Amino acid sequence: MNLLLDSILYSYAQIFFSNRKWFGGVVLAATFVVPELGLVALLGVVLSNLTAAVLKFDEAKIRSGFYGFNGILFGAAAAFYFKLTPFFLVLIGIFIIITFLVSAVLEHHLAAVFNLPGLSLPFVLTLYVFIIFLTNLNGIESKPFEFTEPEFLGTLPDTIKTYFRSLGLIVFQSDMLSGIVFAVALLFLSRVMFTLSIVGFASSVIFVDLIMPEAGEWFLIFAGFNSILTAFALGGNLIIPSTKSFILSIIASLVIVILTGFFVKVLSGYQLPVLVLPFNFVVLSVIYSLKFRREQSDLVLLYFQPGTPEENFYYHHNRVSRFERFKAVVPELPFFGEWRVSQGHNGSITHKDKWRHAWDFVVTDEEGKEYANDGAALSDYYCNRLPVVAPLEGTVVRIVDGVPNNDVGAVNLKSNWGNTVIIDHGSNLFSAVSHLEPHATKLVVGQRVKKGDTVGMCGNSGRSPAPHLHFQFQMTDKLGDKTFEHPIGHYLEKTESGCVLHTFDHPEENMLVRNLESHKIIRRAFEFTLGDRLSFACSFDGESFNEEWEVKVDIFNSLYIESSAGATASVAMVGKIFYLTGFAGNKRSALYHFYLMAVQVPLCYEPNLVWTDRYPVSKAVGGAVRYLSEFLLVFSPQLHASASYRFAERSEESREYTISNSIQLRGTGLFAFYRKTLDGTLTIDAEGMIKEIRISAPGDRAFVATGITNEETSE
Amino acid sequence: MAEKKTYERPVVTKHQSGIMNKFGSGPSTSVRDNIDGVLIKDLAGKFGSPLFVLSEKTIRQNQRNAYRVFKNRYPRVQFAWSYKTNYLDAVCSVFHQEGSWAEVVSEFEYRKARALGIPGEHIIFNGPEKSIEALRTAIREGAMIHIDHFDELYHIVELTDTETLKARVAIRVNMDVGVYPLWDRFGFNYENGEAWQAIKRIVANPRLSLIGLHTHIGTYMMSAEAYRVAASKLAGLAKSMHDEFSITLDYIDVGGGFASQNTLIGQYLPAEEVVPSLEQYADAIASGLFQLSIKPEDLPTLILETGRALIDNAGYLITTVIANKRLSTGRRAIIVDAGVNLMFTSFWYKHKVQPAQQPSVHTEDAVIYGPLCMNIDVLRDGIVLPTLKQGDRLVLNHVGAYNMTQWMQFITMRPNVVMVMEDGTVELIRKAETLEYLAQQEVLPARLKEKKSR
Repeated sequence: MNLLLDSILYSYAQIFFSNRKWFGGVVLAATFVVPELGLVALLGVVLSNLTAAVLKFDEAKIRSGFYGFNGILFGAAAAFYFKLTPFFLVLIGIFIIITFLVSAVLEHHLAAVFNLPGLSLPFVLTLYVFIIFLTNLNGIESKPFEFTEPEFLGTLPDTIKTYFRSLGLIVFQSDMLSGIVFAVALLFLSRVMFTLSIVGFASSVIFVDLIMPEAGEWFLIFAGFNSILTAFALGGNLIIPSTKSFILSIIASLVIVILTGFFVKVLSGYQLPVLVLPFNFVVLSVIYSLKFRREQSDLVLLYFQPGTPEENFYYHHNRVSRFERFKAVVPELPFFGEWRVSQGHNGSITHKDKWRHAWDFVVTDEEGKEYANDGAALSDYYCNRLPVVAPLEGTVVRIVDGVPNNDVGAVNLKSNWGNTVIIDHGSNLFSAVSHLEPHATKLVVGQRVKKGDTVGMCGNSGRSPAPHLHFQFQMTDKLGDKTFEHPIGHYLEKTESGCVLHTFDHPEENMLVRNLESHKIIRRAFEFTLGDRLSFACSFDGESFNEEWEVKVDIFNSLYIESSAGATASVAMVGKIFYLTGFAGNKRSALYHFYLMAVQVPLCYEPNLVWTDRYPVSKAVGGAVRYLSEFLLVFSPQLHASASYRFAERSEESREYTISNSIQLRGTGLFAFYRKTLDGTLTIDAEGMIKEIRISAPGDRAFVATGITNEETSE
Repeated sequence: MAEKKTYERPVVTKHQSGIMNKFGSGPSTSVRDNIDGVLIKDLAGKFGSPLFVLSEKTIRQNQRNAYRVFKNRYPRVQFAWSYKTNYLDAVCSVFHQEGSWAEVVSEFEYRKARALGIPGEHIIFNGPEKSIEALRTAIREGAMIHIDHFDELYHIVELTDTETLKARVAIRVNMDVGVYPLWDRFGFNYENGEAWQAIKRIVANPRLSLIGLHTHIGTYMMSAEAYRVAASKLAGLAKSMHDEFSITLDYIDVGGGFASQNTLIGQYLPAEEVVPSLEQYADAIASGLFQLSIKPEDLPTLILETGRALIDNAGYLITTVIANKRLSTGRRAIIVDAGVNLMFTSFWYKHKVQPAQQPSVHTEDAVIYGPLCMNIDVLRDGIVLPTLKQGDRLVLNHVGAYNMTQWMQFITMRPNVVMVMEDGTVELIRKAETLEYLAQQEVLPARLKEKKSR
């Protein structure tokens, strides 16, 4: 029963590319302004979804309204164009099932062959078949066409009326009230879609006026609602919204006007209405053609589960800012302890042109000196004979050994690279460490090495006047091949007050850098495994409740945490860093506050280590400010939400580890007045259990979730 | 008026025939008139003589240098300051500020560390004697208890059973690392299987979590190789534990014992030439530990309890010449105001002694005696010194380790201890003892207060 109700509501919502049940409910209610239209549309969705269920189509897809919305459109259109009789109703029923079958075929075909959505093409095709078929029968009467409207709206300008009628006609509603309801519902659902509906409609009105000034209101309505739907699809629902996507929808409405003119003439011979044919035609061809670009950096097609255009925007931009620079492998620095970058990328000495993406490392003392005593002997240099390790697992493919160490100040230009070990990491990624100590590597060619295995010792062979380590990525196993730009997966940079975490970044000249040292207890707190259960006692707004979490795995084999409070958060581990990559559901849950506190956590412990990350705005800011700001979203995002984390120094008495986070929510431009800071702490006890999650805004009561350990619950 | 020349008293130097040549290693007298920029005469003038002086800068440099040397060779390193080497609060605090934990060998040291704000979980509790009360506190506070013998293990088992506590323990292992003498009085023996027995007993007890292995192979170790052997034997034990009981150890503690730059009495070559460098010790230990072939993120932390090598050269003793004397053999003797009751290490080391003022041109073979009325009170024998006058100052170098813990009040009191801070200021960190201080512990029975015996 739940499935049926869900599938009905989602089907209604799908007509407007939405996945909100409440929105589906509003659309459903609006179709009952003219009850017979509403009833036949309802028949359409119920019949389609039942057929899909009986034929055992995928339940999740049925629930999402995927198979139902064509049925709604068919039912509504049939009742819109023809007078209803019992016999006719039976016919409609049969054709609704046909619509379902056509949509199943088209969905599969378009998805499998072109990777395109089916849109409302099934409905258009079936309705044409239906109308032409009906000409074989007698006694089927067309309805005289008339628009109705509530009296109190009589004073509205004609263009606005036409806008509301166009919106209503998307679901074949003849009463203008439905269109008004849709418009209001859209405003609440998505400011971007509301704006798009106006942009789409207005541009079609302008183009019609320019090109075909003689056209009547009827033409205006058809061109109008096709333009609105096209603007939805191209402006924000199938493409990540942006100024470019808005311009695209304006251009598309010009094409819509032309195509509407074309289809009106073509189809008039068969007495067929234009329906949403121009919309399907334009959207499918635009989406399809966009797939063939060399670069997809703007007008980005949706690559994830769609939400509202706002959600699509936030998700995409958050993902880009957080993970775009991520690579498939996570190399680390090829040494132990802290070293200084003596020459970085595009360095002034030798890291130029073909070799510009290389690093030189040395060890320095507090005063920044590379050596003790007077630096005249190799052994004075701190880095001399230090172990050099593999940055990543791989196979040793080349070893150059036996080049003698130079005296300090001398260079060996004959064997430029000195003693070198080159490791093949797969996928055409190779790494090379050079100027090594002669006869210090114990490896042989063909040997497998793990990340962190010792490959040799830092030395002074080749073109090296003083002991240092040369490190580069390259694309072949050639000695001294040109460098390849590849970031280091993660490392810590020493600063005045502590250290900073860098992820997938390039250490720069003079930085003091070291690898993360994974910490057993922090690791235990964040290494979630399938089936883990956690319980929390929460208090918020004077309310107390308990919450249970369970770690589950989805069909793509990724872990996520599901909370009994109705929320999920997806978990990812990249090297030694824990990420929460997404959150959905109840924002009054402990899981939501955990998401805010643990969007990114390095699994090490260094007092005063700081790092930052960003949240999708929709996950951190709510209410009227965000709603209003979304009118300007595509021009420039007005709101930003970021996290600044710090590992607190441990107090003398406690055996706990505390991560503090200052969540900054701030507006720019028109919304510069908006500024809010939430302060949070996440406490991990000495056993590696999450002990407390606490977030408070100044003046607000805090959300506090306290971990309940299993022992307490079982004893 | 021309400056008055300093008077130099005449010296009689015995002619020695048969020495290699007249150039040889002539006596070179270097002068130390300051410590980290603070003049010796100012220090002695303000705080008296004798005076122990510690250099904050040197301590920090030593600790940072040691961290760098070890962390560049092994991914996880933790130092624990060996309290017995020098447990003055100021000294311990500098080490703790530099990220060092505390290694204590007695209940009072444990309490000292706690009073300095070190949490129990950062205290390593070593030593053959730990009272029941001390164990109870250590268990409650989550300290790392290094078990020395089975009787101690039984105590811990009893405590954890009766009070349903969990204890974090490690065992101390002794072993043959190829050097003499063999230190087998501490902990459980490796070669005869006793250590493995102890491990099995601990693992079988759910209230004990075995988090580490410890060894302390000796003191003033002149061979880095011994550490390689020790580290690899412990790595072997850790691997067996990993394979047999799937225990991943938190740490392996190789103790201390690195030699400092002091030359031992009886050692021919100077220490700088024979003592292994910290780098050599680190190389040896790391290569021993890397024989434990497990995932890098599961590697145990290497704990070092280095004491002497981190503090010796940060300590100085300023002393003043009381008298010059000639012995019956004709040798020059100098009596100074600091005796062996303050300079315990004089029994072990040939401390480097420097005058604090411009030396005379001529030098003389001499022996330095303390002020004690005891024949053993020799601070330094066989040292070539310039001629000295009463009131001249001498500075003894490398006295930071053990003296300020093993000293005693005997005939003379313990003097002031100051620390020259990084910014050049001088802080008094331990006040000179007084008669009142001494008397406050004493109890004179009433009947003995009477003038005459009854």
